[in-house]
Amino acid sequence: MPEYQSLVSLDVWTALFTLINTIITFVVLKKFLFKPVLKVIDDRQKEIDDIYADAAKAKAEAQELQSTYTAKLSAAKAESEQILSAATRMAQQREEEILRDAQAQAARTLERAQEQIALEKKQAMHELKGQVSGIAVDIAAKVLGQDVDGKKHQKLIDTFIDELGE
Amino acid sequence: MSINGPKIYYEIPIFGGIPITETTVSVLVVTLILCIAGFLLGRNLTRRPGKIQVLVEKGVTMLRKMVIETMGEHNAHWVPFIGTIFLSSILGSLIGMTGFLKSTTANVSVVLVWAISVSVLIWYHSIKNNGFLGWLKGFTEPIVVMTPMNLVSEIAQPLSMAFRHFGNVIGGSVISSMIYTALAGLTSILVSLVVKNGLSVCFVVLAVGLLLTILGFKKHKLLLKILGIILSILGIFALLEHFRIIGSVPFLQVGIPAVLSLYFDLFSGFIQAFVFCLLTMVYISGACPPPEESEEAES
Repeated sequence: MPEYQSLVSLDVWTALFTLINTIITFVVLKKFLFKPVLKVIDDRQKEIDDIYADAAKAKAEAQELQSTYTAKLSAAKAESEQILSAATRMAQQREEEILRDAQAQAARTLERAQEQIALEKKQAMHELKGQVSGIAVDIAAKVLGQDVDGKKHQKLIDTFIDELGE
Repeated sequence: MSINGPKIYYEIPIFGGIPITETTVSVLVVTLILCIAGFLLGRNLTRRPGKIQVLVEKGVTMLRKMVIETMGEHNAHWVPFIGTIFLSSILGSLIGMTGFLKSTTANVSVVLVWAISVSVLIWYHSIKNNGFLGWLKGFTEPIVVMTPMNLVSEIAQPLSMAFRHFGNVIGGSVISSMIYTALAGLTSILVSLVVKNGLSVCFVVLAVGLLLTILGFKKHKLLLKILGIILSILGIFALLEHFRIIGSVPFLQVGIPAVLSLYFDLFSGFIQAFVFCLLTMVYISGACPPPEESEEAES
């Protein structure tokens, strides 16, 4: 016949036994279950947070890079336009300069040619004058039948030729 | 019928006899189960969890969420303690459903130890936070006249916690055993009523039972089915008893107690473990206020 404890029995040994067992359970569960499980959960959470933070950072960096490149691109475009317009301006300037030079040179050449023509004309005239005066003296001598003194009538002849040539 | 406390299996003959009772054995079994399960479940944790690890993590996360919501972020280190009490309580209650082990929580010594542990922890933290004199001074607040009442409430707190838990579990088991006894009595009354009136009544009861069962299955009426089956079984057992084949079998004990057990063991066990842990958390968080002053000093 087994004995029974009373229904509401405060038994010191049971209490002590329970206390020891509860402490053992607590220590074991804390060491082998709660700590590792919580650590795994926290680690994973941290990893996820890190990944998200990295992604956000990468996105921000990419946007920054994009804006930088956009700015650089527009700057380059502006610069190229500037260069192009400068080059165009320079070319125009150069063109005008060349044209002006050419015109000046042509004018100079023309002037020189005219000068030369005038000189040659003068020379030719001079030569012609000499010849014509000789011929005229000869003709006059022939006509008059007498020798016309060239030296004596030179002045008269020259005046005549000058009036003729003009 | 008699309702007893835990059975004493053996008494170790030292220190004036250490009793090994049903409760002691159950406490040991609970401890072993929890330790082994905890060890196995906490092993081989990986970053990519398997099915079991997901469940374990879910449970631990729920527990931690509950602790943090009740006690605040600064008391998150209480998770293992609360978890231990919760698991010990619920497993201690559920182990009574095995039939051959008694619920540990049906013993007031067990629950009282937990409640007093909580009180001791509260006192320890109050003394740590306020100093010994500050802790003593706390009993005279808000006015000195309140001191006796404060002392009473300090003692009543663990007692009420323990007896709430213990009372619910033992009440369930008392009601269960009463219902078992009542059903056994009802069975024997019914069977003897049928047997006393002779063989023909036995057959009539059996026939009516079978008829009702068939009718119940045809018309899909649950009540008719149950009544028919009970009457059929009553008829069968009455016949068996009439021919002195077997003695009285308390067959009505099948069924009804199972439904009650769902409430008294499963539901009540869970609720009581939850309530006990909730009270523990509330009391401890009262003794461990959030570190506002240090935060203010830092900021």
